[in-house]
Amino acid sequence: MFALLEDSGFQRVRSAVVSGFRFRKGATQDAAEAYGVKAVHFTARKPDIAS
Amino acid sequence: MPESTVAAVADAQASLEAVIKGEVLRMYQEVADSPEAEFHFYHGREAAEMFGYDPEWLNQAPKGAVASFAGVGNPHARSALQPGETVLDLGSGAGLDSIIASWQVGPTGKVIGLDLNPSMCAKAKAHAEATGTTLECHEGVMEKIPLQDASVDVITSNGVINLSFQKRRVIQEMFRVLRPGGRISITDIVSAKQLSQSIVNDPKLWAS
Repeated sequence: MFALLEDSGFQRVRSAVVSGFRFRKGATQDAAEAYGVKAVHFTARKPDIAS
Repeated sequence: MPESTVAAVADAQASLEAVIKGEVLRMYQEVADSPEAEFHFYHGREAAEMFGYDPEWLNQAPKGAVASFAGVGNPHARSALQPGETVLDLGSGAGLDSIIASWQVGPTGKVIGLDLNPSMCAKAKAHAEATGTTLECHEGVMEKIPLQDASVDVITSNGVINLSFQKRRVIQEMFRVLRPGGRISITDIVSAKQLSQSIVNDPKLWAS
């Protein structure tokens, strides 16, 4: 997602893991961890016309 | 690759996308219709509190909007919305995030919801009206946002872009509808590893 945002022209792309996110069911959470699945907060900005 | 093979792959992809779209609609409709049910993800007030939503927001918002919340984070934490801004809430669902955004942009601002499901738009608008705010909500897909170029100041979204087969297209559309200098604050699910084909091809897992 980070790369997609930059590739699409967004600037100041920032990301932070959502610390509280987890799945309710243990098996789903285990599978998610195995795949490195996490919730992330992305912020970015569309450049001004002048930039 | 022979042309017939390319066509067959494209047909299979389109078919899978249609099935997944149906499963996504079913899953989120179920959360809205039966918020008391247990899902494999946290939802409702429990989830919102987990992500740091202001308890005062949750007390003031309609119970139905809070109970149907199915986000994966708190996009408001870094949205820095200002009075008078126009906000697009991608995948607005039952409207909790849109309502919170409308409180921040105030009566001189505007919040536009977008949802695949027309009944969710109706719910979101009813919930917004119950709080004395107005929400414009469009039925549509995030791969083809039904808004003009450079028409919004901020885009928020909470756990829906991962549901799209065409994430690059979604992000290009977000870029298109934002005004120059506009910004996004989105929370979503990402995977550090390539998911197996069996997961990618499973509509239930994709929808969740």
